[in-house]
Amino acid sequence: MSNNNGQKLAGKVAVITGGSTGIGLTTAQRFVDEGAYVFITGRRQVELEKARALIGKNVTIVQADAANLDDLDRVAAAVRAEKDVVDIIVANAGFVEQVPIDTLTPEHFDKTFNLNARGPVFLVQKLLPLMSRGGSIILVSSAMHVMGIPGHTTYAATKAALRSYARTWAAEFQDRGIRVNTLSPGVTDTPILDSQVTTPEERESLVNRYLSMIPIGRLARAEEIANAALFLASDQSSYMTGADLMNDGGVGQV
Amino acid sequence: MSNNNGQKLAGKIAVITGGNSGMGLATAKRLVEEGAHVVITGRREKELAEAAAFIGRNVTTVAGDVSNLEDLDRLYAVVKEKHGHIDILFANAGGGKVAPLATATEAHFDTIFDINVKGLFFAVQKALPLFKDGGSIILTSSNANVLGVPAFTAYAASKAAVRSFARGWTMELKDRKIRVNSMSPGPIETLALEKAGLTVEQAEQAASQFASQVPLGRRGKPEEIAAVVVFLASDESSYITGVDLAVDGGMAQV
Repeated sequence: MSNNNGQKLAGKVAVITGGSTGIGLTTAQRFVDEGAYVFITGRRQVELEKARALIGKNVTIVQADAANLDDLDRVAAAVRAEKDVVDIIVANAGFVEQVPIDTLTPEHFDKTFNLNARGPVFLVQKLLPLMSRGGSIILVSSAMHVMGIPGHTTYAATKAALRSYARTWAAEFQDRGIRVNTLSPGVTDTPILDSQVTTPEERESLVNRYLSMIPIGRLARAEEIANAALFLASDQSSYMTGADLMNDGGVGQV
Repeated sequence: MSNNNGQKLAGKIAVITGGNSGMGLATAKRLVEEGAHVVITGRREKELAEAAAFIGRNVTTVAGDVSNLEDLDRLYAVVKEKHGHIDILFANAGGGKVAPLATATEAHFDTIFDINVKGLFFAVQKALPLFKDGGSIILTSSNANVLGVPAFTAYAASKAAVRSFARGWTMELKDRKIRVNSMSPGPIETLALEKAGLTVEQAEQAASQFASQVPLGRRGKPEEIAAVVVFLASDESSYITGVDLAVDGGMAQV
């Protein structure tokens, strides 16, 4: 074990987009428990303030839309002003809306791609000048990037784009000592499920449809995804780059 | 953090095949540091004794060849007698030999498949009666399972079989809550190349060639593999099953 009571991220600075709820919030809490300072972003100030209270210490909130490049400039400026360095980036903000191809609109396409696929490119680009050697970038993809599930034309494609970025950047960052990997959750019990339904019955039906496909027989807890994010952020994964860590209960594996 | 000074595997019983050198030995040592008792097996008595001395405590050695089913029976008889059950199996014994397709012999093919595929298959089968529900099985594959490696085609194919086992056994063992994953190292600082039949000079040349093909620019250390096996063995990876986790410095990812 290392010093600092075995804390794995002692003194590290992390930026987590979509950090006010779900996987992002739980990851922020875990990182702070492990000694990190976190910057979390989200669109809603009220949710961000709630998240800050939950995290309790070593956190800065930045109200920002992860699809908006001016907002991402403000995120980078906030990190530069307060810490002048970043060790860990978790590109986590994401959006899913199930739409069959027949009724898919250009607005739906742009909304999904702008947040899930375009935003992370510029998030990383803008933070890179602040990033230290030994840094770790985690792109939150999805097990769906290797699956075909009706209604997920745009979502699955954006998640495949993230998996692809990890490959290219692993090669591009060869001389910078920065690792980049994707983390691909399966169906996780977070508010993103609620965003896809309007009634409790619809939620139950959606969950049941997924459960029948998942070998491990249950949804993931956000804490389980946060554990994997910690693994990829820390030196425990020091020989991993360009890889895809599937954390999906087997749903995309069998 | 958990109790036991943050040890992640306190009191767990782990079996490691090929535990007397390289990645298996580094992993055995790390698992013991995390609180586990390990039973290691390998073919050479002398190396096993040295490995036990290196690990220092909480280790049992059983000499045996995984491709010999009677040896596997003896291994598990010792485990049953000493511990009564198994929580973690690291099916790691394996190896490769240089043999171009044009000149590879039947004996070459059989040796590779007997150790890497048949030996691993029965090492898992024979562990099952002792396996605790909720345990973790980690299979050593190789990033060769997705690469084209001249003169190592039997080896690469055998490792692709191992990756496949993780998928099928995830399904077969899901009701017992046993997770099964494969772990695919890239070039690691072990004697694998020398054992494959390369001279010291050829091995050095291959190692430096690997380093140039690997985004992280170096071979991995056995301890870096051990850190990943700890992750897959522990509850930190509680939602991960059926996956193939590449720990290859990015070699097969770009």
